[in-house]
Amino acid sequence: MSEKKRILVADDSETIRALMQTALEGAGYEVVLAEDGLSAYELGSNGDYDLVIIDQLMPGLLGLDVVSRWHEEGMKTPVLMLTGVDDDRTAVESFDRGVVDYVRKPFRIPELMARIRMQI
Amino acid sequence: MSLDLFNQVAVLVIFSINAVMLTVLVMLKVVHRHRRLDHDRRRTAYLGVLSRHLSMDDYNEPITETMAEDPAFLDALLDMRNALTGDDASTLGRIVNHHGIIQRQMRYLDSSWLLGRRLQAAVALAELGDEMSAETLMRHLDDPEPEIRIQCGRGLGRIRWTPAIDQIVSRFGTEIPWVSTRFSDTLVGYGAKATWPLLAYIRINHPYETQGVTLALRTLAQINDDQAVGPLLEILEESSDVEVRIATVYALGELGSPEALAALDALLDDDEWALRAKSASALGGLGDPAAISRLLHSMRDSNWWVRRSAAAAIAGLPGGIEALYTALDDEDPFAADAAAEALVDAGELVSARRRAEQEDALAEPLLAHMRSGWS
Repeated sequence: MSEKKRILVADDSETIRALMQTALEGAGYEVVLAEDGLSAYELGSNGDYDLVIIDQLMPGLLGLDVVSRWHEEGMKTPVLMLTGVDDDRTAVESFDRGVVDYVRKPFRIPELMARIRMQI
Repeated sequence: MSLDLFNQVAVLVIFSINAVMLTVLVMLKVVHRHRRLDHDRRRTAYLGVLSRHLSMDDYNEPITETMAEDPAFLDALLDMRNALTGDDASTLGRIVNHHGIIQRQMRYLDSSWLLGRRLQAAVALAELGDEMSAETLMRHLDDPEPEIRIQCGRGLGRIRWTPAIDQIVSRFGTEIPWVSTRFSDTLVGYGAKATWPLLAYIRINHPYETQGVTLALRTLAQINDDQAVGPLLEILEESSDVEVRIATVYALGELGSPEALAALDALLDDDEWALRAKSASALGGLGDPAAISRLLHSMRDSNWWVRRSAAAAIAGLPGGIEALYTALDDEDPFAADAAAEALVDAGELVSARRRAEQEDALAEPLLAHMRSGWS
Protein backbone atom coordinates (compact mmCIF):
# COMPACT_ATOMS: atom_id res chain seq x y z
CA MET A 1 0.00 0.00 0.00
CA SER A 2 1.46 3.37 -0.97
CA GLU A 3 2.07 5.93 1.76
CA LYS A 4 -0.28 8.92 1.98
CA LYS A 5 1.04 12.19 0.53
CA ARG A 6 1.48 14.87 3.19
CA ILE A 7 0.31 18.43 2.71
CA LEU A 8 0.94 21.39 5.01
CA VAL A 9 -1.89 23.95 4.93
CA ALA A 10 -1.04 27.33 6.46
CA ASP A 11 -3.88 29.83 6.73
CA ASP A 12 -5.07 32.04 9.58
CA SER A 13 -8.70 31.57 8.51
CA GLU A 14 -10.40 28.72 10.33
CA THR A 15 -12.84 28.47 7.43
CA ILE A 16 -10.10 27.80 4.90
CA ARG A 17 -8.34 25.34 7.20
CA ALA A 18 -11.60 23.39 7.75
CA LEU A 19 -12.41 23.42 4.07
CA MET A 20 -8.94 22.33 2.97
CA GLN A 21 -8.67 19.65 5.62
CA THR A 22 -12.00 18.07 4.63
CA ALA A 23 -11.34 18.30 0.89
CA LEU A 24 -7.76 17.02 1.08
CA GLU A 25 -8.42 14.21 3.56
CA GLY A 26 -11.42 13.21 1.46
CA ALA A 27 -9.06 12.95 -1.50
CA GLY A 28 -6.70 10.69 0.46
CA TYR A 29 -4.02 13.13 1.58
CA GLU A 30 -2.60 13.53 5.07
CA VAL A 31 -3.05 17.11 6.21
CA VAL A 32 -1.08 19.16 8.74
CA LEU A 33 -2.47 22.59 9.68
CA ALA A 34 -0.76 25.83 10.70
CA GLU A 35 -2.62 28.97 11.69
CA ASP A 36 0.13 31.58 11.52
CA GLY A 37 3.31 32.32 9.59
CA LEU A 38 5.73 31.35 12.31
CA SER A 39 4.24 27.91 13.00
CA ALA A 40 4.01 27.37 9.23
CA TYR A 41 7.74 28.09 8.94
CA GLU A 42 8.62 25.79 11.84
CA LEU A 43 6.38 22.94 10.66
CA GLY A 44 7.63 23.27 7.09
CA SER A 45 11.27 23.34 8.17
CA ASN A 46 11.02 20.39 10.51
CA GLY A 47 8.78 18.01 8.58
CA ASP A 48 8.61 16.21 5.25
CA TYR A 49 5.80 17.40 3.02
CA ASP A 50 4.90 16.72 -0.58
CA LEU A 51 3.26 20.15 -0.92
CA VAL A 52 2.71 23.31 1.09
CA ILE A 53 -0.41 25.45 0.60
CA ILE A 54 0.18 28.85 2.16
CA ASP A 55 -1.73 32.10 2.61
CA GLN A 56 0.02 35.46 2.16
CA LEU A 57 -1.53 37.58 4.93
CA MET A 58 -0.98 35.76 8.21
CA PRO A 59 0.00 36.91 11.69
CA GLY A 60 3.61 36.32 12.71
CA LEU A 61 5.19 36.03 9.28
CA LEU A 62 3.81 36.79 5.84
CA GLY A 63 3.47 33.84 3.50
CA LEU A 64 6.04 35.32 1.12
CA ASP A 65 8.56 35.77 3.95
CA VAL A 66 8.11 32.14 4.96
CA VAL A 67 8.63 31.05 1.35
CA SER A 68 11.75 33.25 1.05
CA ARG A 69 13.28 31.70 4.17
CA TRP A 70 12.62 28.18 2.85
CA HIS A 71 14.03 29.19 -0.52
CA GLU A 72 17.23 30.49 1.13
CA GLU A 73 17.51 27.31 3.20
CA GLY A 74 17.23 25.21 0.04
CA MET A 75 13.87 23.58 0.80
CA LYS A 76 12.63 21.79 -2.32
CA THR A 77 8.99 21.17 -1.37
CA PRO A 78 6.64 22.78 -3.90
CA VAL A 79 4.65 25.69 -2.47
CA LEU A 80 1.23 26.80 -3.69
CA MET A 81 0.10 30.29 -2.66
CA LEU A 82 -3.64 30.51 -1.86
CA THR A 83 -4.44 34.11 -1.09
CA GLY A 84 -7.00 36.88 -1.12
CA VAL A 85 -4.31 39.35 -2.17
CA ASP A 86 -5.40 40.30 -5.65
CA ASP A 87 -2.52 42.24 -7.12
CA ASP A 88 -0.20 41.14 -9.87
CA ARG A 89 2.91 42.34 -8.04
CA THR A 90 2.40 39.85 -5.19
CA ALA A 91 1.76 37.08 -7.72
CA VAL A 92 4.94 37.88 -9.66
CA GLU A 93 6.95 38.20 -6.45
CA SER A 94 5.62 34.82 -5.30
CA PHE A 95 6.83 33.12 -8.46
CA ASP A 96 10.18 34.93 -8.17
CA ARG A 97 10.60 33.47 -4.71
CA GLY A 98 9.96 29.92 -5.89
CA VAL A 99 6.19 29.45 -5.51
CA VAL A 100 4.97 26.91 -8.08
CA ASP A 101 1.34 28.04 -8.33
CA TYR A 102 -0.79 31.00 -7.25
CA VAL A 103 -4.54 30.70 -6.58
CA ARG A 104 -6.67 33.70 -5.67
CA LYS A 105 -9.52 33.63 -3.16
CA PRO A 106 -12.42 33.21 -3.63
CA PHE A 107 -11.56 29.92 -5.29
CA ARG A 108 -13.19 26.78 -6.66
CA ILE A 109 -12.48 23.55 -4.77
CA PRO A 110 -12.32 21.25 -7.86
CA GLU A 111 -9.91 23.63 -9.62
CA LEU A 112 -7.67 23.87 -6.56
CA MET A 113 -7.68 20.07 -6.20
CA ALA A 114 -6.66 19.73 -9.85
CA ARG A 115 -3.78 22.17 -9.33
CA ILE A 116 -2.69 20.20 -6.26
CA ARG A 117 -2.75 16.94 -8.26
CA MET A 118 -0.54 18.59 -10.86
CA GLN A 119 2.12 19.29 -8.25
CA ILE A 120 2.24 15.90 -6.48
CA MET B 1 -25.83 55.97 67.84
CA SER B 2 -22.33 57.36 68.08
CA LEU B 3 -20.62 58.91 65.06
CA ASP B 4 -17.98 56.13 65.02
CA LEU B 5 -20.62 53.40 64.77
CA PHE B 6 -22.44 55.29 62.02
CA ASN B 7 -19.18 55.56 60.02
CA GLN B 8 -18.47 51.85 60.44
CA VAL B 9 -21.98 50.90 59.24
CA ALA B 10 -21.66 53.27 56.22
CA VAL B 11 -18.29 51.74 55.24
CA LEU B 12 -19.75 48.24 55.57
CA VAL B 13 -22.74 49.12 53.36
CA ILE B 14 -20.55 50.71 50.67
CA PHE B 15 -18.16 47.75 50.77
CA SER B 16 -21.08 45.29 50.43
CA ILE B 17 -22.57 47.17 47.47
CA ASN B 18 -19.18 47.22 45.73
CA ALA B 19 -18.68 43.51 46.39
CA VAL B 20 -22.11 42.67 44.94
CA MET B 21 -21.48 44.81 41.85
CA LEU B 22 -18.08 43.25 41.30
CA THR B 23 -19.52 39.75 41.61
CA VAL B 24 -22.27 40.57 39.10
CA LEU B 25 -19.71 42.01 36.67
CA VAL B 26 -17.47 38.94 36.95
CA MET B 27 -20.45 36.63 36.46
CA LEU B 28 -21.58 38.57 33.38
CA LYS B 29 -18.09 38.33 31.93
CA VAL B 30 -17.93 34.60 32.61
CA VAL B 31 -21.35 34.04 31.01
CA HIS B 32 -20.39 36.15 27.99
CA ARG B 33 -17.11 34.27 27.56
CA HIS B 34 -18.87 30.92 27.90
CA ARG B 35 -21.45 31.91 25.27
CA ARG B 36 -18.74 33.12 22.89
CA LEU B 37 -16.75 29.90 23.28
CA ASP B 38 -19.90 27.87 22.74
CA HIS B 39 -20.71 29.92 19.63
CA ASP B 40 -17.15 29.34 18.29
CA ARG B 41 -17.37 25.62 19.00
CA ARG B 42 -20.66 25.31 17.10
CA ARG B 43 -19.30 27.44 14.26
CA THR B 44 -16.29 25.11 13.93
CA ALA B 45 -18.60 22.10 13.80
CA TYR B 46 -20.75 23.76 11.11
CA LEU B 47 -17.64 24.58 9.06
CA GLY B 48 -16.94 20.84 9.06
CA VAL B 49 -20.50 19.99 7.97
CA LEU B 50 -20.48 22.58 5.17
CA SER B 51 -16.99 21.50 4.04
CA ARG B 52 -18.18 17.91 3.74
CA HIS B 53 -21.26 19.01 1.79
CA LEU B 54 -19.01 20.86 -0.63
CA SER B 55 -16.16 18.44 -1.12
CA MET B 56 -17.61 14.94 -0.68
CA ASP B 57 -19.97 13.72 -3.41
CA ASP B 58 -21.47 10.92 -1.30
CA TYR B 59 -22.00 13.03 1.82
CA ASN B 60 -25.69 13.35 2.68
CA GLU B 61 -25.97 14.34 6.34
CA PRO B 62 -28.97 16.68 6.36
CA ILE B 63 -28.72 20.28 7.51
CA THR B 64 -31.47 20.45 10.09
CA GLU B 65 -33.76 23.41 10.73
CA THR B 66 -32.22 23.82 14.20
CA MET B 67 -28.81 24.18 12.57
CA ALA B 68 -30.08 26.60 9.95
CA GLU B 69 -31.58 28.81 12.65
CA ASP B 70 -28.36 28.98 14.67
CA PRO B 71 -26.43 32.30 14.31
CA ALA B 72 -23.19 30.26 14.45
CA PHE B 73 -24.33 28.38 11.34
CA LEU B 74 -24.95 31.67 9.58
CA ASP B 75 -21.44 32.87 10.50
CA ALA B 76 -19.90 29.67 9.12
CA LEU B 77 -21.99 29.86 5.96
CA LEU B 78 -21.08 33.51 5.26
CA ASP B 79 -17.37 32.90 5.85
CA MET B 80 -17.41 29.97 3.49
CA ARG B 81 -19.38 31.87 0.88
CA ASN B 82 -16.76 34.62 0.89
CA ALA B 83 -13.97 32.07 0.41
CA LEU B 84 -15.50 30.21 -2.53
CA THR B 85 -16.78 30.93 -6.00
CA GLY B 86 -18.30 29.09 -8.96
CA ASP B 87 -20.22 25.86 -8.34
CA ASP B 88 -19.16 25.77 -4.69
CA ALA B 89 -20.73 29.19 -4.05
CA SER B 90 -23.85 28.01 -5.92
CA THR B 91 -24.08 24.95 -3.66
CA LEU B 92 -23.98 27.25 -0.64
CA GLY B 93 -26.61 29.43 -2.33
CA ARG B 94 -28.87 26.37 -2.65
CA ILE B 95 -28.46 25.66 1.08
CA VAL B 96 -29.40 29.29 1.82
CA ASN B 97 -32.51 29.05 -0.37
CA HIS B 98 -33.55 25.59 0.80
CA HIS B 99 -33.59 26.67 4.43
CA GLY B 100 -35.23 30.06 3.88
CA ILE B 101 -32.25 31.80 5.47
CA ILE B 102 -32.80 35.08 3.62
CA GLN B 103 -36.49 35.21 4.56
CA ARG B 104 -35.60 34.51 8.17
CA GLN B 105 -33.01 37.32 8.26
CA MET B 106 -35.50 39.71 6.62
CA ARG B 107 -37.99 38.82 9.35
CA TYR B 108 -35.40 39.45 12.08
CA LEU B 109 -34.43 42.78 10.54
CA ASP B 110 -38.07 43.86 10.34
CA SER B 111 -39.35 42.72 13.67
CA SER B 112 -36.79 41.53 16.19
CA TRP B 113 -36.62 43.64 19.35
CA LEU B 114 -33.00 42.61 19.92
CA LEU B 115 -30.62 45.12 18.36
CA GLY B 116 -27.85 42.49 18.08
CA ARG B 117 -30.10 40.17 16.11
CA ARG B 118 -31.26 42.97 13.81
CA LEU B 119 -27.68 44.02 13.21
CA GLN B 120 -26.62 40.45 12.48
CA ALA B 121 -29.53 40.14 10.07
CA ALA B 122 -28.51 43.33 8.25
CA VAL B 123 -24.90 42.11 7.95
CA ALA B 124 -26.08 38.70 6.74
CA LEU B 125 -28.38 40.20 4.11
CA ALA B 126 -25.58 42.53 2.96
CA GLU B 127 -23.19 39.57 2.64
CA LEU B 128 -25.71 37.28 0.95
CA GLY B 129 -26.59 40.01 -1.55
CA ASP B 130 -29.81 38.49 -2.88
CA GLU B 131 -32.34 40.52 -4.89
CA MET B 132 -35.10 39.03 -2.76
CA SER B 133 -34.01 41.26 0.11
CA ALA B 134 -33.77 44.51 -1.90
CA GLU B 135 -37.08 46.00 -0.74
CA THR B 136 -36.35 45.19 2.91
CA LEU B 137 -32.89 46.74 2.64
CA MET B 138 -34.34 49.86 0.98
CA ARG B 139 -36.84 50.23 3.81
CA HIS B 140 -34.10 50.07 6.42
CA LEU B 141 -32.03 52.85 4.83
CA ASP B 142 -34.03 54.92 7.35
CA ASP B 143 -33.50 52.55 10.26
CA PRO B 144 -32.90 54.32 13.61
CA GLU B 145 -29.63 52.37 14.04
CA PRO B 146 -26.76 53.87 11.95
CA GLU B 147 -24.85 50.59 11.50
CA ILE B 148 -27.99 48.93 10.13
CA ARG B 149 -28.38 51.77 7.61
CA ILE B 150 -24.76 51.26 6.55
CA GLN B 151 -25.21 47.51 6.11
CA CYS B 152 -28.43 47.99 4.13
CA GLY B 153 -26.63 50.38 1.78
CA ARG B 154 -23.79 47.89 1.44
CA GLY B 155 -26.23 45.08 0.65
CA LEU B 156 -28.00 47.13 -2.01
CA GLY B 157 -24.62 47.94 -3.53
CA ARG B 158 -23.69 44.28 -3.55
CA ILE B 159 -26.88 43.43 -5.44
CA ARG B 160 -26.20 46.45 -7.72
CA TRP B 161 -29.83 47.46 -7.08
CA THR B 162 -30.13 50.48 -9.39
CA PRO B 163 -33.28 52.01 -7.80
CA ALA B 164 -31.26 52.38 -4.59
CA ILE B 165 -28.76 54.83 -6.12
CA ASP B 166 -31.07 57.86 -5.91
CA GLN B 167 -32.22 56.82 -2.44
CA ILE B 168 -28.64 56.63 -1.18
CA VAL B 169 -27.50 59.87 -2.85
CA SER B 170 -30.49 61.76 -1.48
CA ARG B 171 -29.32 60.96 2.07
CA PHE B 172 -25.85 62.49 1.61
CA GLY B 173 -26.86 65.85 3.03
CA THR B 174 -28.91 64.60 5.96
CA GLU B 175 -27.00 61.55 7.19
CA ILE B 176 -24.41 61.66 9.98
CA PRO B 177 -20.94 61.87 8.39
CA TRP B 178 -19.70 58.34 9.12
CA VAL B 179 -22.84 56.82 7.61
CA SER B 180 -22.79 59.04 4.53
CA THR B 181 -19.09 58.24 3.99
CA ARG B 182 -19.96 54.53 3.92
CA PHE B 183 -22.86 55.28 1.56
CA SER B 184 -20.30 56.98 -0.65
CA ASP B 185 -18.19 53.79 -0.67
CA THR B 186 -21.30 51.88 -1.72
CA LEU B 187 -21.91 54.23 -4.63
CA VAL B 188 -18.31 53.92 -5.79
CA GLY B 189 -19.10 50.20 -6.15
CA TYR B 190 -21.89 51.05 -8.61
CA GLY B 191 -19.31 52.75 -10.86
CA ALA B 192 -20.53 54.86 -13.80
CA LYS B 193 -24.18 53.99 -13.03
CA ALA B 194 -23.99 56.45 -10.12
CA THR B 195 -22.43 59.33 -12.13
CA TRP B 196 -25.62 61.05 -13.32
CA PRO B 197 -27.60 60.66 -10.08
CA LEU B 198 -24.63 62.21 -8.23
CA LEU B 199 -24.37 65.05 -10.75
CA ALA B 200 -28.12 65.69 -10.50
CA TYR B 201 -27.86 65.82 -6.70
CA ILE B 202 -24.94 68.27 -6.90
CA ARG B 203 -26.72 70.49 -9.46
CA ILE B 204 -29.87 70.75 -7.38
CA ASN B 205 -28.26 71.14 -3.97
CA HIS B 206 -25.03 73.09 -4.41
CA PRO B 207 -26.65 76.50 -3.81
CA TYR B 208 -28.18 75.31 -0.51
CA GLU B 209 -25.87 72.91 1.28
CA THR B 210 -22.20 71.93 1.45
CA GLN B 211 -21.67 68.64 3.32
CA GLY B 212 -23.66 66.37 1.01
CA VAL B 213 -22.51 68.13 -2.15
CA THR B 214 -18.80 67.90 -1.29
CA LEU B 215 -19.22 64.21 -0.46
CA ALA B 216 -20.98 63.67 -3.79
CA LEU B 217 -18.06 65.40 -5.53
CA ARG B 218 -15.51 63.22 -3.72
CA THR B 219 -17.55 60.15 -4.70
CA LEU B 220 -17.48 61.25 -8.35
CA ALA B 221 -13.70 61.68 -8.09
CA GLN B 222 -13.40 58.06 -6.96
CA ILE B 223 -15.76 56.73 -9.62
CA ASN B 224 -13.52 58.40 -12.20
CA ASP B 225 -16.03 58.57 -15.04
CA ASP B 226 -15.07 61.04 -17.82
CA GLN B 227 -18.75 61.88 -18.42
CA ALA B 228 -18.62 64.01 -15.27
CA VAL B 229 -15.99 66.47 -16.56
CA GLY B 230 -18.31 68.79 -18.54
CA PRO B 231 -20.99 69.07 -15.81
CA LEU B 232 -18.29 69.60 -13.17
CA LEU B 233 -16.83 72.52 -15.14
CA GLU B 234 -20.33 74.07 -15.21
CA ILE B 235 -20.72 73.60 -11.45
CA LEU B 236 -17.31 75.20 -10.92
CA GLU B 237 -18.53 78.22 -12.82
CA GLU B 238 -21.92 78.44 -11.09
CA SER B 239 -21.02 77.76 -7.46
CA SER B 240 -19.98 80.50 -5.07
CA ASP B 241 -19.38 78.11 -2.13
CA VAL B 242 -15.61 77.80 -1.62
CA GLU B 243 -15.84 74.27 -0.17
CA VAL B 244 -17.92 73.09 -3.11
CA ARG B 245 -15.50 74.72 -5.58
CA ILE B 246 -12.50 73.12 -3.85
CA ALA B 247 -14.17 69.69 -3.97
CA THR B 248 -15.03 70.23 -7.66
CA VAL B 249 -11.42 71.14 -8.45
CA TYR B 250 -10.24 68.06 -6.57
CA ALA B 251 -12.64 65.88 -8.60
CA LEU B 252 -11.45 67.43 -11.87
CA GLY B 253 -7.84 66.73 -10.88
CA GLU B 254 -8.69 63.09 -10.11
CA LEU B 255 -10.55 62.70 -13.40
CA GLY B 256 -7.42 64.03 -15.14
CA SER B 257 -9.18 65.28 -18.27
CA PRO B 258 -7.30 67.84 -20.44
CA GLU B 259 -10.70 69.55 -20.87
CA ALA B 260 -10.24 71.01 -17.36
CA LEU B 261 -6.83 72.59 -18.03
CA ALA B 262 -8.04 76.11 -18.87
CA ALA B 263 -10.49 76.33 -15.95
CA LEU B 264 -7.93 75.12 -13.44
CA ASP B 265 -5.30 77.44 -14.89
CA ALA B 266 -7.65 80.42 -14.41
CA LEU B 267 -8.22 79.47 -10.77
CA LEU B 268 -4.52 79.91 -10.00
CA ASP B 269 -5.36 83.64 -9.81
CA ASP B 270 -8.45 83.23 -7.58
CA ASP B 271 -8.73 85.40 -4.44
CA GLU B 272 -9.14 82.33 -2.26
CA TRP B 273 -5.75 80.76 -1.42
CA ALA B 274 -7.21 77.31 -0.69
CA LEU B 275 -8.70 77.22 -4.16
CA ARG B 276 -5.40 78.33 -5.73
CA ALA B 277 -3.58 75.56 -3.85
CA LYS B 278 -6.10 72.88 -4.82
CA SER B 279 -6.04 74.02 -8.46
CA ALA B 280 -2.27 73.73 -8.50
CA SER B 281 -2.49 70.15 -7.19
CA ALA B 282 -5.25 69.33 -9.68
CA LEU B 283 -3.14 70.66 -12.56
CA GLY B 284 -0.46 68.22 -11.47
CA GLY B 285 -3.09 65.47 -11.66
CA LEU B 286 -3.79 66.23 -15.32
CA GLY B 287 -0.24 65.14 -16.18
CA ASP B 288 0.24 67.77 -18.89
CA PRO B 289 3.71 69.40 -18.89
CA ALA B 290 2.11 72.47 -20.52
CA ALA B 291 1.02 73.46 -16.99
CA ILE B 292 4.62 73.78 -15.74
CA SER B 293 5.17 77.42 -16.72
CA ARG B 294 1.93 78.50 -14.99
CA LEU B 295 2.77 76.47 -11.91
CA LEU B 296 6.25 78.00 -11.77
CA HIS B 297 4.48 81.34 -11.58
CA SER B 298 2.34 80.04 -8.66
CA MET B 299 5.53 79.16 -6.82
CA ARG B 300 5.82 82.92 -6.21
CA ASP B 301 2.33 83.08 -4.68
CA SER B 302 1.93 85.08 -1.45
CA ASN B 303 0.62 81.95 0.34
CA TRP B 304 3.15 79.27 1.33
CA TRP B 305 0.70 76.37 0.87
CA VAL B 306 0.01 77.49 -2.71
CA ARG B 307 3.76 77.68 -3.39
CA ARG B 308 4.25 74.25 -1.89
CA SER B 309 1.30 72.70 -3.80
CA ALA B 310 2.52 74.20 -7.08
CA ALA B 311 6.05 72.85 -6.58
CA ALA B 312 4.74 69.40 -5.62
CA ALA B 313 2.52 69.39 -8.70
CA ILE B 314 5.46 70.29 -10.94
CA ALA B 315 7.54 67.47 -9.44
CA GLY B 316 4.96 64.94 -10.68
CA LEU B 317 4.84 66.24 -14.26
CA PRO B 318 7.09 65.08 -17.11
CA GLY B 319 10.12 67.37 -17.14
CA GLY B 320 9.09 68.79 -13.76
CA ILE B 321 12.23 67.83 -11.82
CA GLU B 322 14.45 69.72 -14.28
CA ALA B 323 12.13 72.75 -14.02
CA LEU B 324 12.43 72.66 -10.21
CA TYR B 325 16.24 72.55 -10.41
CA THR B 326 16.07 75.69 -12.56
CA ALA B 327 13.70 77.30 -10.05
CA LEU B 328 16.34 76.93 -7.33
CA ASP B 329 17.90 80.06 -8.84
CA ASP B 330 14.60 81.96 -8.83
CA GLU B 331 14.95 85.59 -7.77
CA ASP B 332 12.08 85.02 -5.32
CA PRO B 333 13.71 83.16 -2.39
CA PHE B 334 10.35 81.68 -1.33
CA ALA B 335 9.92 80.13 -4.79
CA ALA B 336 13.45 78.71 -4.55
CA ASP B 337 12.58 77.27 -1.12
CA ALA B 338 9.42 75.64 -2.51
CA ALA B 339 11.45 74.13 -5.36
CA ALA B 340 14.06 72.76 -2.94
CA GLU B 341 11.40 71.29 -0.67
CA ALA B 342 9.64 69.57 -3.57
CA LEU B 343 12.95 68.19 -4.82
CA VAL B 344 13.75 66.81 -1.37
CA ASP B 345 10.26 65.28 -1.13
CA ALA B 346 10.82 63.69 -4.55
CA GLY B 347 13.97 61.99 -3.21
CA GLU B 348 16.38 64.21 -5.10
CA LEU B 349 18.55 64.98 -2.09
CA VAL B 350 19.83 61.43 -1.91
CA SER B 351 20.61 61.31 -5.62
CA ALA B 352 22.10 64.83 -5.49
CA ARG B 353 24.53 63.70 -2.79
CA ARG B 354 25.43 60.64 -4.85
CA ARG B 355 25.93 62.78 -7.94
CA ALA B 356 28.06 65.23 -5.95
CA GLU B 357 30.39 62.37 -5.00
CA GLN B 358 30.83 61.77 -8.72
CA GLU B 359 31.50 65.50 -9.16
CA ASP B 360 28.33 65.97 -11.23
CA ALA B 361 27.62 69.72 -11.50
CA LEU B 362 23.83 69.08 -11.66
CA ALA B 363 23.81 68.21 -7.98
CA GLU B 364 25.34 71.47 -6.81
CA PRO B 365 22.35 73.89 -6.89
CA LEU B 366 20.20 71.75 -4.56
CA LEU B 367 23.07 71.03 -2.17
CA ALA B 368 24.04 74.74 -2.16
CA HIS B 369 20.44 75.65 -1.37
CA MET B 370 20.33 73.15 1.48
CA ARG B 371 23.66 74.49 2.85
CA SER B 372 22.45 78.11 2.78
CA GLY B 373 19.30 77.21 4.74
CA TRP B 374 15.65 78.10 4.10
CA SER B 375 14.57 81.68 3.45
